[in-house]
Amino acid sequence: MPRYGMVIDLKKCIGCYSCVVACKAEHNTPNGLFQTTVLEKELGRFPNSIRVFMPVLCNHCEEATCVDVCPTEATYKRDDGVVMIDFDKCIGCGACIEHCPYHARDFVVDDRTVFPDGKTVFVKPVYQKIPKKVALKCDFCFYRVEKGLLPACVEVCPTAARIFGDVEDTKSEVHELMEKYSAWTMLPDEGTKPQVYYIG
Amino acid sequence: MIQDRQHIRRGKDVWVPTVCAGCYNCCGVRVHRVNGKVVEVVGDPKASNSKGYICAKGICRALDLHHPSRVVKPLKRTNPEKGIGVDPKWAEISWEEALDTITEKLGKVREEDPRKLIISHFDISAYKPTIAFALAYGTVNFIWNRADYCGSASHPVWLITNGALNSEIDFEYCKYFILWGTQLGHVVNTIPLVSGHALAERRRQGAKLVVVDPFCSNAAAKADEWLPLKPGTDGALALAMLNIMVYELGIYDVDFLKHQTNGPYLVQPDGHYLRDEESGEPLVWDLSDGRAKPYDADDLKDPAIEGNYEVAGGSYRPAFHVLKDHLGQIDVDEMSRICTIPIERIRSITKEFCEAARIGSTIEIEGHKLPLRPAGIDFKRGAAAHKGGFNTCFAIHLINLLVGAIDVPGGQRGVNPQGPYWSAETGPDGLLVPSDVITKYNKPYPGRQAKIPEHLDLQELFPAALFTRGLYPWGIDNPEVFGIPYKPEVMLHSRSNLMLNSHNPHAMAETLKKLKFQVSMVMFIDETAEFADIILPDAHEFERWDIFPANDPYAFIAPGPGEWYWLMRQPVVEPPEGTRPFLEVYFELAERLGILDEMYQIGNDSWVIDEQYRFEKGKEYTIRDIAERQAKTILGPDFSWDRLQETSCMVSRKKTIEEAFPRMFFKSRVPIYLEYLLKHGKDVKAVTDELGLEWDFTPYSPVPVWIPCEAHADDEGYDLIVTNGKVPTHQFSVTTENLWIDEIAVRNPYTYSVMIHTSVAEKKGLETGDKVCVESRYGKVTGRLMVTELIHPECIGTCGTFGHWAKGMPISLNKGVSHNQLLPPPSLKRIDTLTGQIDTCIRAKIYKAGERDDA
Repeated sequence: MPRYGMVIDLKKCIGCYSCVVACKAEHNTPNGLFQTTVLEKELGRFPNSIRVFMPVLCNHCEEATCVDVCPTEATYKRDDGVVMIDFDKCIGCGACIEHCPYHARDFVVDDRTVFPDGKTVFVKPVYQKIPKKVALKCDFCFYRVEKGLLPACVEVCPTAARIFGDVEDTKSEVHELMEKYSAWTMLPDEGTKPQVYYIG
Repeated sequence: MIQDRQHIRRGKDVWVPTVCAGCYNCCGVRVHRVNGKVVEVVGDPKASNSKGYICAKGICRALDLHHPSRVVKPLKRTNPEKGIGVDPKWAEISWEEALDTITEKLGKVREEDPRKLIISHFDISAYKPTIAFALAYGTVNFIWNRADYCGSASHPVWLITNGALNSEIDFEYCKYFILWGTQLGHVVNTIPLVSGHALAERRRQGAKLVVVDPFCSNAAAKADEWLPLKPGTDGALALAMLNIMVYELGIYDVDFLKHQTNGPYLVQPDGHYLRDEESGEPLVWDLSDGRAKPYDADDLKDPAIEGNYEVAGGSYRPAFHVLKDHLGQIDVDEMSRICTIPIERIRSITKEFCEAARIGSTIEIEGHKLPLRPAGIDFKRGAAAHKGGFNTCFAIHLINLLVGAIDVPGGQRGVNPQGPYWSAETGPDGLLVPSDVITKYNKPYPGRQAKIPEHLDLQELFPAALFTRGLYPWGIDNPEVFGIPYKPEVMLHSRSNLMLNSHNPHAMAETLKKLKFQVSMVMFIDETAEFADIILPDAHEFERWDIFPANDPYAFIAPGPGEWYWLMRQPVVEPPEGTRPFLEVYFELAERLGILDEMYQIGNDSWVIDEQYRFEKGKEYTIRDIAERQAKTILGPDFSWDRLQETSCMVSRKKTIEEAFPRMFFKSRVPIYLEYLLKHGKDVKAVTDELGLEWDFTPYSPVPVWIPCEAHADDEGYDLIVTNGKVPTHQFSVTTENLWIDEIAVRNPYTYSVMIHTSVAEKKGLETGDKVCVESRYGKVTGRLMVTELIHPECIGTCGTFGHWAKGMPISLNKGVSHNQLLPPPSLKRIDTLTGQIDTCIRAKIYKAGERDDA
């Protein structure tokens, strides 16, 4: 059984937001919500200032806080490492949203992609329609992965800054990159053991 | 009726390969249609220019088709008054009535003087047919758009040196990239997915990236060194670097200068070449036998590029020596002060670049030993869009030229000067000229004869320019000043928002009001369409055929090694009832005006149509028919539409080494000394004197000079210079009305913001989130402030082309700002008088404009 994870190469990411939109389109994520995004940060003082692009998504943690706090077991971890939300079980209590140290989850108020007229709704075939009043976050496009495809954000990235694979397979590209560039994770002190790794 | 709708692929759930129009690059995409509706756009793994990747703009193209504000019925204005905020009181009319009215108007104007018609759009795939329409109709006024905004000054520089319209750097071999006022390889600029992938990979492998930009753009964010110069001072920085190269480092490629450039041509004291009395050819001094001889003499062995040589009693220096002397006059400390980059930093970058070029090194590729110059500079709008745009671009490019890093492995390269059916040629004095396929009528070298203008873009006053489209308002407003013997009356307009992308909208409104009859073919009623007399509902790119290839080969096929690939745009769905692709309308109007035959005949000569596929008189051909003939011409007679089942991209063959790295295979030389400008300057002076016009001849210099912008002079109260840059999620105003793109832009700290440096904000008591007014002497805009360390302290930063106010644009309404609104209409002091480039540097003040916006 693979353990899926993602490596994000910050050296390569150019902040083009293709991944953000690809994810949005793949899931038809409702207005105003994103299951992945790119954070931007400024460091230092002019003229030695730098601008950093930081793609973020659910970290699919080994020790996932969201799984622990979910009262209905709607949030659970699959054997392949993907942290999932079962929309049928989710009661929208918001505990997971509150406890995720990475702010990777959102609450769905309006489930539509709707134009400013308030009436015209964009619909498209999706693996799973996102309902109202549930928690929402990245699912690693598990249904694509099961078919041998890459997550939408990975497939689309023009600079190949997102790499997906089995982090425990020592021959996988993700594993090699993690070793070669001393990968790190966000907020390691939280003890959540994220499976999204950063290099560069 | 000339239309192709019967050829749309059938099926309930299908993927149709076609070509994106989210920007001008024409990437191959696959579009998913379910139950007759477009639901998804993805990259096409089989398309050579996308390789399965796609940018944010491309993915989002799926939404615009469904936008409820789309115009789906022809409309006519019932309120004769035109103006910003004036309700046109649209009334729906039938297509028949609309086309009858337009045909009658066009017919009448054509009888009076066909030049009164202006064609305006910025749809590259439609250039050729609409130009044929214009020529058949008899007007010279095509095509008004704002392509000049980035390229009027830079394109001529590449055309005279690379023989190409566009420029790039060899991603495979280059190890030292300088991006100068451009974001090549950052999903901005040309061939974005190929270059984006390649440059990131190269950086990962250790190549160095230097970015010159007043704002820390996406490209600058990835740079090893960001050089934040003061806007518009690029020329000063380039001249300082040239001085350091030639004098302090003494690094230049002598062999390249001797044999590949006009560096050895002997120059007279008046700046002109010394010519052979018999042949009229420029003379060079051959060191091998101590004689002067024509540059192309068979026995020429070792032409001198430095020294003084006695010929027939006079003493002459080679052009390179003249250039070198000129560069010796440059005060590098003063240039450093002007551009605000510390002199030590300029020295270190120059040294690194020159050393990285590895002069003398070679590489063997496919049995050919070629120079290897793994360092290159690409430049574009940031450097070009200034008063001294051409001189600046040429100065920057000289850094490439002096190390021989042009169209050889590793260096800067033109985008396909040499192709399967075109080739750069050798022009007068042995210098390179671009192929007719790239530019037939407006070759910047050798240039044209200056004369009193007939064109409303005044191109006759710019004989060494490529295009001067930004000057249309100047000509429309003042035909009599320029000796133009008619006044424009009618405009066929589509896909270019002139009100937003030019200058102060109140001034532009007055210009548009001078056109008595405007037809706008649009999907949305934007600020320019609000001035239309008739609106015709246009189709989305997924609803139309286009002529072939959609990707102009000399601009949008990746240069360097690879393959020749050609993309076919085909419709995924029918246009919604009531809408028609605007190109189809041109053909219908031509038919109604009785000029369709003539249009096809022009096409026979200019649309790449082989003899056997020529259009016959008296027959009708749809856009698809035309595309088929073009495809058979380019791909061979066995082309069939079946090839478009899986991909829109068709490969004809691998590029040859001569096409991939053309410099050493060209017989022509590259100019490093622009002697031809002396004649053009003199000719223009004769014309402007005749017209009684004041003019500026400073740019007509054979060697590059520093020309400051109006904004570089102090102007009390207007203490900052506004700068404007692209973001990877937006292309002009093409993308502004997109739901998803807008959601990203709203969340980005910079895209919709007005930016100033922390120190400026502190002085003015301003904070991030303040609603601020940016006011120049010519216009003002309001926006949300972002205080940042990522901008030059003498600047106000803006992004993109935003700030829509039209009701027909509900998503983009009041989002972001339009830098262009701060600019005045074109005038002598704000254009490059050599190329017609508009200077976009503008002085402004910034102040609080009301309540904070904490959104």
